[in-house]
Amino acid sequence: MSDLSWQRKRSSLNPTGSPISPWLHIDLALILSCLTLGVTGVFMVYSATRGSDPTMYDKSFLSRHTLFVVTGTLLMLVTSSIPYRRLRDLAPIVFWGSNLLLLLVLTPLGVERNGTRAWFEFGQFQLQPSEFCKVAFIFALASYLERFDGYLSEKAILNSLFLASVPLGLILLETDVGSALVFVAITMGMLLVGGAQTRHIAFMTLVGVAGIAIIWSTGLLQDYQRDRLTSFIDPASSQTEAAYQQTQAQIAIGSGGLRGQGYGEGQQTRGEFVPEQHTDFLFSVVGEELGFIGAVVILGLFGVVIWRCWRTAKKSADLLGTLICVGVLTMIVFQMFQSVGMTLGIMPITGIPLPFVSYGGSSSLTSFVAVGLVLNVHMRRYEAVR
Amino acid sequence: MNRLRRLDRSRRLRLGILGAVAISLFIPLVARLWYLQIIKETEFIERVQDNTTEEIIERAPRGRILDINGRILVDNRKSIVVTIDKEEMATVRTSKLDDLFFDLAREISLSGKLTKVAQIEDAYVSERYGPFAKVPVVSDISKELQVYLAEYSYKWPGVGTTVITVRDYPYGTLAAHLLGYVGSLSEDEIGQVQSAEKTYLANDEIGKAGIELFYENALRGTPGRKTVIVDKFNNILEVVEEIPARAGSDVQLTIDIDLQAMAEEYLKDGLDIARQQPTKFEEEGVIIYKAPAGAMVVMNPQDGSVLAMASFPTYDPELFVSGISQDEFDDLIDPGNSLPLLNRVIQGTYPPGSTFKPFTAYAALDTGLIGSRGILGVNSMYLDEGIYTIPTCEGGTCEFQNAGAAAYGEVDLRLALTYSSDTYFYNLATHFDILPGFDLESPQVAASYFGFGVPSGITLANENGGRIPTPDSRREAYRENPEAFLTDKWLTGDTLNTSIGQGDVLATPLQIANAYAALINGGTLYAPNIGLRTINPITGETEVQFESRVTRDLYLPDAFRQPIIDGLAGVTTWRRTDNGLEGTAYDAFLNFPHEDWPVSGKTGTSEKQSLDALIADYALFVGWGPNPEAEYVTVVILEEAGFGGAVAAPVVRRYFEQIAYGIVPRFLSVAEADEAARQLANELEEPPIEGEAFAETSSIGSGD
Repeated sequence: MSDLSWQRKRSSLNPTGSPISPWLHIDLALILSCLTLGVTGVFMVYSATRGSDPTMYDKSFLSRHTLFVVTGTLLMLVTSSIPYRRLRDLAPIVFWGSNLLLLLVLTPLGVERNGTRAWFEFGQFQLQPSEFCKVAFIFALASYLERFDGYLSEKAILNSLFLASVPLGLILLETDVGSALVFVAITMGMLLVGGAQTRHIAFMTLVGVAGIAIIWSTGLLQDYQRDRLTSFIDPASSQTEAAYQQTQAQIAIGSGGLRGQGYGEGQQTRGEFVPEQHTDFLFSVVGEELGFIGAVVILGLFGVVIWRCWRTAKKSADLLGTLICVGVLTMIVFQMFQSVGMTLGIMPITGIPLPFVSYGGSSSLTSFVAVGLVLNVHMRRYEAVR
Repeated sequence: MNRLRRLDRSRRLRLGILGAVAISLFIPLVARLWYLQIIKETEFIERVQDNTTEEIIERAPRGRILDINGRILVDNRKSIVVTIDKEEMATVRTSKLDDLFFDLAREISLSGKLTKVAQIEDAYVSERYGPFAKVPVVSDISKELQVYLAEYSYKWPGVGTTVITVRDYPYGTLAAHLLGYVGSLSEDEIGQVQSAEKTYLANDEIGKAGIELFYENALRGTPGRKTVIVDKFNNILEVVEEIPARAGSDVQLTIDIDLQAMAEEYLKDGLDIARQQPTKFEEEGVIIYKAPAGAMVVMNPQDGSVLAMASFPTYDPELFVSGISQDEFDDLIDPGNSLPLLNRVIQGTYPPGSTFKPFTAYAALDTGLIGSRGILGVNSMYLDEGIYTIPTCEGGTCEFQNAGAAAYGEVDLRLALTYSSDTYFYNLATHFDILPGFDLESPQVAASYFGFGVPSGITLANENGGRIPTPDSRREAYRENPEAFLTDKWLTGDTLNTSIGQGDVLATPLQIANAYAALINGGTLYAPNIGLRTINPITGETEVQFESRVTRDLYLPDAFRQPIIDGLAGVTTWRRTDNGLEGTAYDAFLNFPHEDWPVSGKTGTSEKQSLDALIADYALFVGWGPNPEAEYVTVVILEEAGFGGAVAAPVVRRYFEQIAYGIVPRFLSVAEADEAARQLANELEEPPIEGEAFAETSSIGSGD
């Protein structure tokens, strides 16, 4: 067993076995890149929301988002402090609990925004259960797949798909296509690493493509949804809000040039031409004000986050840790690609915030908690399994 | 162990695949960023500017129009206009719309401004306005109604009010023709003003006629221009550049509004009186004195400035203020209504008739036909028997008569003008036509010296140049319309007709007045001025002074001028007690204060060719005084009104009487007006108009 990568050099570098010892192995690169993204996000959110009157800038988004990022950082550390294997027993409770919230959000308890019913409202804060459900799902699926030890039977796959289908179905009922796609990505990524066989993957891909084709050709989608999904191909031909949003975002980004207009100097941003520029379309503010250099640095930071997740997945002491990291990695990669891609006009518009950066409590907390899990795995990579 | 190892290898492979996929996703993102930010940067920067930079144009008030005494003839005032928002109305059901329009019309009518439902509907459906426009439907509503509509706006969806600046006419319809009017830019004009120095907006007003048109560039205010940065909702974030609006220059005219008012009044009276003449039954048919239209112009012959310019029928310029309806406009350009919009002084062309004779006389003097060494002496007598037969008649009419075949006996040049002997001038014309060494076109040449046949060059648009027929022009006319002439040949009869201002001779009243002015002032032909200067609306200082413009200096020695002037002086004063022969306007000027205010004149009675019916003659009179340094020369033309001496001359007599008796103050000469303005400017501490711009804005460029 000594040559298995996630168990390699397990004992030699774990000098004391004292409870504090995992903290010596914390992944500072991951923490720093996430925090840098978070702090950059705070600044960009401020630029996107402060309004145009210099004598009375709106600071409410700034203070709220700062609170989110600080809380998220703390939650990240809390999440990483409890050994993830001990958390495993909680997985089913947390998972089904979050699914219950998804169910409740569909009742009048939830509130609707932009045609999507995905929020609970508490005073000036909104809670989006689908965000938290992502982490719960990653943990639940990881703990389920772990027991097959890298070789998945049809039954295991079907069970996994069933597990995924519960939150997926509920989220689709919210008509939150973006979040639903995140679940699909997470499931695919985790099944791939969890040991799905090539034919399973091929079959699922086939079914997926066929499914999309069927959904598209039958009348299951509303016209506006269809429009949102296709307008990115030729925004000029479409008169919809979505096309407008995407065109404006590209104008903002393109005008940034190499060096950007400068922080707080973006005309498009100041004029609030891009709807949702502080949330899903925050990357347009980055592109306009920080330019190509800034945008690439942000993408680079994501690259670091993903690399650290991937590295942790590889170095994990057990399959559970690997799968958790894979789930988190897939989630972050997919969300980043989707969110940045739609502001750049190469992906259809599906409302997905940019992890760590975009304004939003649920999204920020979820991203930090997810990274907390990866840190958790990383810290305990030398601990004996069970 | 083998299985585990295999699984381990497979897991590493799978993680590798996942990593590769994750990393590969960065490639399109960075590539796209490169494309948008590096390759297309310039294009997107431009589009940001389109988005965020807007130009707000602030309208500037139009300059005023003043008379020579500084009295305001055209001013600006504010008008509250009811508007209907087409975009908002588009959502209202048609049946509801009808109710709304009905209620609105009732409400506006109740407030004191009578309004028909149809009027609102017509404005609303008018294609002049785009689908998002706020259409002005009724203007000049009361302040109270504006407040009411704003207060109960929930009852009136889409109905709003706005304040616009419109032209105001303190003197009502006076001088309507010469002042002209303004209107919204037409399609053609939008193209023309593209390169104008003062920016125009799509729904801006522009001078359409008269002074408003000719001095458009001076009168138009310079719009203010504000370059601003806006947000998506068109809120202004930042003002980048601001050029304030500047009011247009005032234009002062040479017109004296008192003289103008009198001219319009007496012209109308003259026509009324002419209409009361009994219908004449003749062999050829019935002649009714309809006297439907006429014109009168008064000039200062010493400098060519126009003092008054009246055209009848006239119109109310106020019609154009609130947007004239098509029906109303059609009425103004209907020949059946005698074309009220036509400024007859510069656009109406008439056969000058006998008023043309002095210029034929000039031709005879200038060519040496008459003169000390000429074929005829200035004083040599010609026996006028009332009928003239062309000695070498080649066809066409060979026998010509005086009016009413009256025989005046022995006449020289002076008496021929005084009595208006046609035969005397026929005799001259025949000489031109047949005598070797003489040019048969001599009358035409002389006429062209005096400015006939070409526009006078007055500072008003669309002036008609009239027509002086020549053998060449006759051939041309025949080629175009062979029906209208017997032959393409220029016959002696044509020279005869031309010599007395008949036949194809056509002139505008202004041309006639201007030609006489040259004769009176000793030979300077001016291009008539109606604009005196432009005035800075803030400082009151003169910006541009429009000096007299000399078209040409004529060769007019006393030997030529005196006999003509003497003969024309006789028109109003000469009477022979022995045979009762008198000047053609002697009766009209009987008991006129000739000693204090010597006046001369020339009558004209011209036949206007008409194909359909027999129509009455056009009555003309040219008069001037006080001699010898006449300051007024006037031409009156009454259409279908009879004899010039009988109906037109009395108009001038009454007019001059007012001046001669000092009932109307003497007009200011240009020099005097300048002096008065200088004094006024010195006295004024406050500027005459504030350069304030009206808070009326509109933007070109758009935010989305």
